[in-house]
Amino acid sequence: MDGGIAVLGQVAFWGLYSGCIYILLATGLNLIFGVMKVVNFAHGEFLMLGTYITFFFFVISGFNPYLLLFLSIPILIGAGIIVERLCFRPILGTGKLNEIFISLGLIYIFQNGVAMVFTDEWRSMKSPFADLTIGIGPIQLPLDYIIIVVITAIILVGLSVFLDRTTTGKAIRASSQNRRGAMLMGINVERMDMLTFGIGAGLAGAAGTLWAVSGQVFSPYMGSVPAIKGFAIIILGGLGSIPGAIIGGLAIGMVENFTAFFLGGSWKDAISFILLIVVLLVRPTGLFGEAGE
Amino acid sequence: MRTDCIIYTILGLLLIALLLGSGCTQTPAATGPSEIKIGVVASLTGPASTTGKDIWQSAELAADEINARGGVPVRELGRSLPIRLIPGDDESTREGGMKAVTKLITQDQVSVLVGGYSSAVVSAHQSIVADNKVPYIISGASSSAVSRRTDLDTSYMFFHRPNTDDSAEASIRFLTEVFRPAINAKFGFSGDRKLRVAVIYQDSPFGKGQLDAVKALIPAKNLPIEIVAEEPFKMGESDFRTVLTSVKSKNPDVIYAVTFLNELVPMTQQARRDVGLNTVIMAIENNDDPDYYSGVGVYGEGMIMESRFSPYAVPAGSTEAATRKFLSDFDKKYGGFAGMMGAATYESVYVAAAAIEQAGSLDRAKIRDALATIRVPQMMEIMKNGTIAFSPEFRESKFDLYVVQLAMDQKSGEPRPVIVWPESLKAGEFSIPDWYTPGSP
Repeated sequence: MDGGIAVLGQVAFWGLYSGCIYILLATGLNLIFGVMKVVNFAHGEFLMLGTYITFFFFVISGFNPYLLLFLSIPILIGAGIIVERLCFRPILGTGKLNEIFISLGLIYIFQNGVAMVFTDEWRSMKSPFADLTIGIGPIQLPLDYIIIVVITAIILVGLSVFLDRTTTGKAIRASSQNRRGAMLMGINVERMDMLTFGIGAGLAGAAGTLWAVSGQVFSPYMGSVPAIKGFAIIILGGLGSIPGAIIGGLAIGMVENFTAFFLGGSWKDAISFILLIVVLLVRPTGLFGEAGE
Repeated sequence: MRTDCIIYTILGLLLIALLLGSGCTQTPAATGPSEIKIGVVASLTGPASTTGKDIWQSAELAADEINARGGVPVRELGRSLPIRLIPGDDESTREGGMKAVTKLITQDQVSVLVGGYSSAVVSAHQSIVADNKVPYIISGASSSAVSRRTDLDTSYMFFHRPNTDDSAEASIRFLTEVFRPAINAKFGFSGDRKLRVAVIYQDSPFGKGQLDAVKALIPAKNLPIEIVAEEPFKMGESDFRTVLTSVKSKNPDVIYAVTFLNELVPMTQQARRDVGLNTVIMAIENNDDPDYYSGVGVYGEGMIMESRFSPYAVPAGSTEAATRKFLSDFDKKYGGFAGMMGAATYESVYVAAAAIEQAGSLDRAKIRDALATIRVPQMMEIMKNGTIAFSPEFRESKFDLYVVQLAMDQKSGEPRPVIVWPESLKAGEFSIPDWYTPGSP
C-alpha cells in the first residue's frame, strides 16, 4: 500500500463496513422504539442468533452464505414476532423497569439456549469469496466487504420503500408518529407492534449473517457490545429516527476505526460514548431527534 | 393408664437406644473430613470459556486418577481422602472471579485453589485469597505484575506458569537467533539491519506485561531489534482490520501478538485475508490449543508461537510418555485434545495433592508451607532441573520453553505445529514461508 491517503482510504472502508453492521442493528432498534417505545436490551441477541442460523445452514447445506439471508431474515422476523407476543405485549405500558428486566432475562435465555445447542466456543466461517480482492486505485478491497456494503444499501432502500409506499408501511409510520391517532383511524396498532418488532429482529438477523460472512468470530455472548453500541447510535441519531440511525451508525463506524488508527484500539469503544456525550451536550435530542421523544 | 406408661417407657428406651446407636455409628466420621475440597477457578462461561472448559476437564482428569489410586494420604487423619473438585466459574470477568473465589473459600471451605487464567481476572480476586489465606496454585495469569505485586500479601499464591518476562525472553531469543538471520540471508539484508517488530497487545496486565518485558529486554541485552509499532486492543476484540492496517503501514518484519485464543484466530485471518499483511505473526504460548489450529485454518501456515505444551507437537525426551498418556486419556474421556492451560492445571492438581501429603494435614497454613518447599518431578511440561518447584521470592515455577512453527497438514486440513527451537528439542527447521514479505530494507 503506497502513501498515507491509501492507508486512510483503507481505514475509511473498514469504518464503512463496521457502520453497515451498526446501521442494520440500530435501524431495527429505532424502528421498534419508534412504534412501541420499548427498550429491548436483548436486541444484540437477535444479531447473535443471525450468526448462528447462518453458520448452521451453511454447515448443513453448503449454500453461498449470502443466500442464507433469505433464511436468517424470515426466521428472525418470526422469532421477533414470538418475543413481542409472549414477552413485551403483556407488559406494554407497565413501566420501563419491566421492559428492562424482560429484555435482560431474554439475553440470558438466548445466550444459554445457543450455548446449549452449539456450545460456547468461538466460531467462524469462511465466505467463498474470502480470498478475492478488488483494487480501487491504490486500495485493495476484499470483495466480501463490498458485497456487504451493497447488501446493506439494498436492505435500507427496501425498508424505505416499504415504509413510504405500502399501506402497511404507512400504518407503521402512523403508529410511530401518533399511536392514539393511528388507533382512531382504524389501524390495528398491536398488529403494527408485532410487525415492527419482527422487522427489527429481521434487520438484526441480516446484520448477524453479514457479521458471520465477513469472517468475524462469534459466540453466544457476542451480542451485548453491539447492542450497547446500537443504543448509543439511536440516541446519537435521535430516538425513533431512521435517517438518524443510518447517519449515527456510519458516524460511529468511522469514528471508531479512525480512533483505533490514530489513538490505538483501546479507545475504540470509549470514543463511541465520548461522541455520544458531545452530541447530546450540543443537541440533547440527538442529531435527527425531535423534542418530546 | 398403666399400659400407656409401659408403652411410653419402652418407646423412650427405644429412642435412647436409637440415639446412642446412631451416635456410635457416626463417631468415626465426625472425627474429620471425608474428602479434600479443591476449588478450580476457571472461565466456564464468557469469552474465555474454551480455555476454561479445558482447565476444568484437565483438573477433573487429574482428580479422577488420584482418587482411583486411593486418594491422598493425610497423616493427621491417619487415612487417605479422595479429592472433590468444586468449580468456580469466573465468567471471564473480574467481578465473576471475585464472586466465584469468595464462594469457594467461604461457602465451600476449600483447602486449596487451583486454576486462574486471565491476569486481569486473577488480579481482581488476589486480595480475597490474601485476606483468607488460602493456598492458590495459579496456572495462568502470566503477567509478572500479578505475581510480583507488593500491595498485598501474595505468600499463599504459587504460580505454575512462566511469567511474561520468561516467555518474552524465549520469543525474543528465537527472533534474534533464528528469525532475523533467516530473513537477512533470504532477502540479502546487511548484518547490522535491525529486525522490525510490531507489537499488537491486549490492553490488559497480560498484554502490557509482555510489551514491557520485550521493551526492557532489547536495550538490556543490546539486541538488534527495533519496535516499529505498539498497538493495543481491548480484551475480546474480534475486528483487527484497522489496527492491522496501521501496522502494515509501519512495514514490520514480524508481528509480536499478545492475545487470547479467541483474538488470535480473527487477527491472523484478517491480517492475511483482509489486509493483505504478508508478515509472520509470533504468538504467545496460551494460544497453543487445538481450537487455534482448527479456527485459523490455512491462514495459520508459516506462523510461529512460543510454547511450553503443545497438543500436536510433543517434545522427545523425559516428558514424552507422560504427555502422550495425558493427551490419550483426555481424548478418551472428553474427545479431543487438551491445551496448555489444561496441562498446567492437571499438573497443579497433582502438585496440590503432593503438598497436602507432604503437609500431612488439610490446614491451609501447613499446605502453604509445604508448597513453598515442594519438589515434584516434572510431568508433561519441561521444567528447569526437571522439577516443579516454586522460587523463594515470588513463588514462580521455571520452565524450559520452545518455539513451534505451523505447517499445513493435508490430512486434517489444519495447520500443525513443529518444534523449531531450541536446538535440544527441535523436530524440524524453521523456514520463511513463500508468501512472506519483509518490512522496509
